[in-house]
Amino acid sequence: MRPHIILRYIGLVLLFNAIFLFVSSLISALNSDSSLFPLLYSAVISALFGTFPLIFVPPTKTISNKEGFIIVLSSWLLSCLVGCIPYILWGGEFSFTNAWFESVSGFTTTGSTILTDIEALPKGLLFWRSSTHWIGGIGIIIFVLSVLPSIGSARMTLYRSEMSSLAMNNFHYRTHKTIQILAIIYVGLTFLETLSLLLCGMNLFDAITHSFATIATGGFSPKNLSIAFYKNLSAEIVIMIFMILSGIHFGLLFVTISGNFNDIRKSSIVMYYLLALLIGTALTAVSLHGNQFESWTDSLRYSAFQIISVGTSTGFATADSSVWPMFAKVLMIFFTLQCACAGSTSGGIKVDRIVIFWKSVKRKLIRLQYPNAVVPVKVDKAAVSDETVEMCLVYIIMYLAVTAVSTLVLTALGTDGLTAFSGTAATLGNVGPGFGAVGSISNYSSIPEFGKWIFTANMLLGRLEIFVLIMFFMPRSWR
Amino acid sequence: MRLRTKILSGFLILILMLFAAGSWSIYEMTQMGSSVQRLLDENYKSINAARMMMEAIERQDSAVLLIISGNDKQGKPILASGDELFLKGLDTAKTNITLDGEQACVETIEESYGSFKNFWTEFIINANNNKDLKWYYQTLHQAFLDTKLSVNKLMTLNDQAMYRTASKLQKRSYRVIMPGIVAIVSSVIFTLIFSYFINYYMVAPIIKITNGVKDFITTRNYMDISVETNDELSHLASAVKELCAISGAVQKT
Repeated sequence: MRPHIILRYIGLVLLFNAIFLFVSSLISALNSDSSLFPLLYSAVISALFGTFPLIFVPPTKTISNKEGFIIVLSSWLLSCLVGCIPYILWGGEFSFTNAWFESVSGFTTTGSTILTDIEALPKGLLFWRSSTHWIGGIGIIIFVLSVLPSIGSARMTLYRSEMSSLAMNNFHYRTHKTIQILAIIYVGLTFLETLSLLLCGMNLFDAITHSFATIATGGFSPKNLSIAFYKNLSAEIVIMIFMILSGIHFGLLFVTISGNFNDIRKSSIVMYYLLALLIGTALTAVSLHGNQFESWTDSLRYSAFQIISVGTSTGFATADSSVWPMFAKVLMIFFTLQCACAGSTSGGIKVDRIVIFWKSVKRKLIRLQYPNAVVPVKVDKAAVSDETVEMCLVYIIMYLAVTAVSTLVLTALGTDGLTAFSGTAATLGNVGPGFGAVGSISNYSSIPEFGKWIFTANMLLGRLEIFVLIMFFMPRSWR
Repeated sequence: MRLRTKILSGFLILILMLFAAGSWSIYEMTQMGSSVQRLLDENYKSINAARMMMEAIERQDSAVLLIISGNDKQGKPILASGDELFLKGLDTAKTNITLDGEQACVETIEESYGSFKNFWTEFIINANNNKDLKWYYQTLHQAFLDTKLSVNKLMTLNDQAMYRTASKLQKRSYRVIMPGIVAIVSSVIFTLIFSYFINYYMVAPIIKITNGVKDFITTRNYMDISVETNDELSHLASAVKELCAISGAVQKT
């Protein structure tokens, strides 16, 4: 392993962060707010650290798998660290723990916050907060590689570690093109949503920050009441559409945009994803009608937004779901665990694994009846290897085990059961809001300090699909 | 890139990092200094004036009571000096209006003091008065309380502003310290990375070349030394290689 090569690539990621920090400081300067110096100083530090390895380390075209793996992990962790510098320097509600929490929540596109008054933050800092979502959404590494002069194998190696293994299986494009596709779709969707929100009457700053958070399936809003602040149905519809789109495999989106509608129509994963959201919305609306809302229109409006928001791991809110009936809460917890499709920016177990899980259950039932039958697990008429099926099941078990352990530790710290469990599910799934003290309209400020560190660990575990982060702390696996 | 440029860039980055932190700290310190000055100029002066007025009006109240009880000789000078002190305080407050609502507050003081003064002026002018404690409680005391209340309001207004400024100062002091801490941590990490690069890209190749030359002296067989970078060290390595090749050829002939 070559530490200097790793430092060069991490440097590029830091340079990418520095660009957004500079833009944020520009916004701060235009608004003459108090975050100018914290942002500018962080940008300078980040740019200097990013530039230095480029001076010493010559470019390379070959990166080993292990190096790629370390680059991805270190980039995530260092981005989170650099990301919290402006918060620490600005002060206010940001202690080191709080700043780290907010930064990790941003880069992992979780969207949980410790801020009790988001609107008290200066605009420059609010923009940086949303930018962390946008950077984290596409995966810092992919972004940086798309602007790098390095070609071929270097890109491929990093890409593998960044994306979910499931997404890799059904991503049919050649790698150098994949990066371009992801970038085009990501930027395109962000631009389209910003434009749509502007047409809905949102101001430019709010439209951009909300687009950043939606496309990254993050959930940071510059308003304390999140989307509920606007009381704007058309804006809610636009955000719902883009949340759903951001939860679909980006490769499939590209094929569909290119004019081939067959792939998305025939994709059982996407169909399951959409159907689940539809059924979830309908059931929640039924439970809310006459209980929280008098009219069917309101019940549908609020249930659709909340279900899509958690079902895509975004975490925006138009209503305080912590006061909803238990049935609606349980449904939302299910979606918090499941989330959206692999190959998107969402977190959670992912629909793909859930589909494979149900298909393997079906296979087991058939084998109980016909012990000698050869029954492959098929997704879209293609057989899924036994190794993939096994990995899916192990992942689901690991996911639930992490949820259980984290909940247990949080309750030991004095957090109530609902807050501990829903908070764990929401942070591990990179969703954001849970229930109880960490509901959709509240925040994580009341969680004990150590609890906040557990939640940030959950966010990183969820974003890096558990095994990758575990391997990072096992140096033997680096060799 | 040349070795000198690489080393220089390392030091320049370090200097820039510390310079940025230093400049920001100086800026925050200056801001803090002007905040302290503002605190003294704007709020403390008004609070002092309010205290002066409070003291003056209490003295006047006592003087009136002295006069009522028949001690005219003692009471009248106290009343006059109290009036003088109050007007002095009021004048200071009038010329130091810096907060929202302070103007209105001062106007109320002026108005209530005016009616308070009217009562006792009349009382003193009509020396053969038959004002007693009943008169005092029914007329003058209420005017005294009103004036005292309005002066108190001015004091509270400035007290609150002072507290807010002090809180801002606390935040500022945090902002003075933090860039320093970040700069120290960053510089330590940067120095470690810098020394790693120096070691990997400069010291290690020099050791390799030296060992290669030593091997050549003993074995007459020069090992090819690969230097990753395209700088003076790679030129040195190829020059040594050429020298060894020529030297080996001369020996053979």
